[in-house]
Amino acid sequence: MIISVKDLRKVFTKERREVVALDGFDLEVLESEFVCLLGPSGCGKTTVLRIIAGLESKTSGQVLVHGKEVASSRPRVGMVFQEFALFPWRSSKKNVEFGLEVRHVPRDGRSKVADKYLDLVGLSGFAEAHPHELSGGMKQRVAIARALANEPEVLLMDEPFGSLDAQTRNLMQRELLRIWAATRKTVLFVTHSVDEAVFLADRIVVMTARPGKERESIEVLLPRPRDRTSPEFIAVRSRVLSELDEEFEKARARELSHSPEVKNNA
Amino acid sequence: MNAILKWFKKMPRSQWKLILLVASILLFIGVWYAVSWWTELRDPVQGSLVPPPDEVASSFYWLLSNKDRATGIYLFQHMFTSLERVFLGFALAFALALPSGLLMGRSWVAEGLARPIVEIFRPIPPLAWAPAFLIIFKIFWGPVAVVFLGVFFPILFNVMLGARSVDRTLIDAARTLGARRSDVFTKVVLPYTVPYLMTGVTVGLGIGWMCIVAAEFVSAEGGGLGYFILANSDFGYYPEMYAGMVLIGILSVLTTGLAGLFEREVYKRMGMD
Ligand SMILES: Nc1ncnc2c1ncn2[C@@H]1O[C@H](COP(=O)(O)OP(=O)(O)OP(=O)(O)O)[C@@H](O)[C@H]1O
Ligand SMILES: [Mg+2]
Repeated sequence: MIISVKDLRKVFTKERREVVALDGFDLEVLESEFVCLLGPSGCGKTTVLRIIAGLESKTSGQVLVHGKEVASSRPRVGMVFQEFALFPWRSSKKNVEFGLEVRHVPRDGRSKVADKYLDLVGLSGFAEAHPHELSGGMKQRVAIARALANEPEVLLMDEPFGSLDAQTRNLMQRELLRIWAATRKTVLFVTHSVDEAVFLADRIVVMTARPGKERESIEVLLPRPRDRTSPEFIAVRSRVLSELDEEFEKARARELSHSPEVKNNA
Repeated sequence: MNAILKWFKKMPRSQWKLILLVASILLFIGVWYAVSWWTELRDPVQGSLVPPPDEVASSFYWLLSNKDRATGIYLFQHMFTSLERVFLGFALAFALALPSGLLMGRSWVAEGLARPIVEIFRPIPPLAWAPAFLIIFKIFWGPVAVVFLGVFFPILFNVMLGARSVDRTLIDAARTLGARRSDVFTKVVLPYTVPYLMTGVTVGLGIGWMCIVAAEFVSAEGGGLGYFILANSDFGYYPEMYAGMVLIGILSVLTTGLAGLFEREVYKRMGMD
């Protein structure tokens, strides 16, 4: 077990109002497993990743990575964001070297590791390019290389392909599977797209509407590379979709009944 | 006639701009001559209060190799005095405003502590301090202190704004990559703030040149171009006075231009051009 989350609870306090983002959330991820986290908007997916990454504190519960409580000081996980989050003043290579730099790896070592991971994501030709010279897909490749260069045990990805066009998105999904196969990292991947989850995951965890907890864990046993048009693929897809639809409905119903504007107008 | 018109129409925008530049300068010199003649016509006994451009130019040329009549030293000595003051005031302000701005932008404790002090000083124009600074810091450092105040606030506020608007996800990304607080400060916040810093520097330099002249008016016998202008005006040496003004204009344009070049170089190094 590389990630073990038990009874996680997270309450945000904003202007004296409490928002229970997560309550009784459990998750277990095995070594080298590819898990997709799916759920209605606002159910706490990003919050789960941020707590595992040590970017956010938990209210209560247990979060173990490789058997140790996460401490915000020295994370052992890499994270890839939807907004790429590249440093615009650094070249691709310098971006990839960032984690090594703050860990005081000597220059030669940094350069070698950066070259290796830029090569892995297929960007050796763009080492000296700056983010503004790269397309969205290329930017996300740099971000993946940057996260991997730190040699983390786990790669957390928060809707990493959410802002890419459909074609680039499909390409990046295949690329990610190739990189995953080459590195055997554990991947926890948040997405809004059922299609993407079924294409990528060993297992799909569907979350309930807020406060989020695990509703269902669905193993995807289809062999890779997966064919999106095959009946087996479509069958898994519909199953996940129906689970998700119920939660969407619940979220929508609650939103309507709790919305202050609606109350005021009534 | 038609051929000339056609030729004009085919000219690229850059050539038009050059022609407009020359026309603009000629227009300026023409108006200068006109004003000069007009003041002479109005009062032929006293002579022109606004010397024509050629007289200012020849006086400028003369001042390059002669001690001036009003202050008894060379024009370039005054120039170096002013340059030295602007440089010192600017350097001190930069060295203090940059770290203060970064701290105030990133830490609410630092801002809460420093903001009230800043707000006490800010509404008082730097020039209002000139007499006080002259008494405290004497004739050389008094004007330096005025320049310091003039440059300090634009840099402080711009850096603060930049440090405050750092993209949160960049900081999150840095932290997941193992950056500690100090790394985030030097490797994320500082580079992110550079464009804001450059704005502060450009604005600050302009204000610095305004401050130095006025402060040197007050600081008499401390030397400097402000003093040179005032002394020549007192003696009625108007061509010299205007020559001093022109020199300040040139210096201000040169230093701002230098800052612009520096800015472009920094952006190029940072890959943000
Ligand atoms: N810093 C914060 N302060 C206050 N509330 C927050 C904060 N971050 C998240 N929340 C709230 O917690 C809940 C879960 O947010 P989170 O971003 O984890 O959802 P999500 O599942 O990632 O949503 P989406 O699918 O839209 O990305 C939301 O109701 C959100 O408004
Ligand atoms: Mg999210």
